[in-house]
Amino acid sequence: MFGRILKAAFFSTALASTAAAGELSIFANGEELATEGFLAPELTRDGWQLNFSNVFVTLSGITAIQAEPPYDAEAGGEPATSVSAGLDPAAPLTIDLTETDEDGRVLLGSIAASAGHHNAISWSVVPATEGEWAGQSMVFVGTATRDGQSVDFTLTSPDRHAYVCGEYVGDERKGFLVEGGEADLEITFHLDHIFGRADVDLDDPMNIDAIGFDPFAAGGTHAIDLSGLHIGHVGEGHCAVVFG
Amino acid sequence: MQSFSGRLFVITLGALLLPSHAQAHAALITLGPVEAIEIHAGYDTGEAMRGAQIVVYAPDNPAQPWLTGTADDSGRFVFVPDGTPGRWAVQAREAGHGAMSYFIVEGGETTALLPAPAQYDPLQRLVMLASIVWGAIGTALYFRRPRQRERA
Repeated sequence: MFGRILKAAFFSTALASTAAAGELSIFANGEELATEGFLAPELTRDGWQLNFSNVFVTLSGITAIQAEPPYDAEAGGEPATSVSAGLDPAAPLTIDLTETDEDGRVLLGSIAASAGHHNAISWSVVPATEGEWAGQSMVFVGTATRDGQSVDFTLTSPDRHAYVCGEYVGDERKGFLVEGGEADLEITFHLDHIFGRADVDLDDPMNIDAIGFDPFAAGGTHAIDLSGLHIGHVGEGHCAVVFG
Repeated sequence: MQSFSGRLFVITLGALLLPSHAQAHAALITLGPVEAIEIHAGYDTGEAMRGAQIVVYAPDNPAQPWLTGTADDSGRFVFVPDGTPGRWAVQAREAGHGAMSYFIVEGGETTALLPAPAQYDPLQRLVMLASIVWGAIGTALYFRRPRQRERA
């Protein structure tokens, strides 16, 4: 399959600027909205249940950063990088957010990295250069159901979005790498920023900006415009994003 | 430790001077200002993060929570760091959104590291921010001077 083929090609190249001390693994996560779907009460903002068979995302330039001072995603711009380590930037990676490990994550790669706190990360969503969905950066394949009506859909986006994020925000802090140790980072895709959520107020900014599913209610293949939507996060932490 | 020493001193005095009330249950309160960190957690829409989960990480064990708590309805949370020098981190989370802030304690001085309020982009809705205000805010926490209000 498209995603698996490219996955084999990107297992990592270390670009650390100082001697490697340990192994840093980087994961992607589409949360349960990708793996389980939009299920009641978490339907789309316009009341659709969505079940995905594939959520393809093509990534490039995935770089873990030790930023000093810590990166301020609200201010945007470039992080003050002291040390960075990245996956091979020459090989865009397509993953399927529905094909996860037992923790609901997709391993992007493991790289040799320097000791310290990797408190920032950057990556880009880019069009795939080969495979079934070449030219598309995100592809959603699945079934939508509302009021007893079900339609199969394929939504495609060629949009480019570049993200720079600060520290992961979640149940635990991530990115602390000690000599000879292991650590991990995670980039998180919030699909509710695309489709909205019925269990959140309709006047919530997320729902105001979200597209919902009504525009695609006829089923079939549609282009979806993701520009302006803040899909990429680090856990619950927001990122600076540039489109185009 | 300061409160423990003060309480012990008072109990000892009571035993010496008030033998008929030697089992003293006197409640003693003393007040004094301390330097505290005040967090305001909210969204850049201006909406407060009501009841946000707050986690504080100290510099000597940054991967483990030093303090956890809950912000009030205005997104406010106040705590007193223990003076451990280095970079402290404060995390605020609510309804799937969260942010980290940092401050430095060094040489008895506290300096906010991130974020700087002037850097917020008001156009970026849904982006959560947490700000830190620090200084002596008159939080009265410690026992210092005993004052007897009641004897058992």
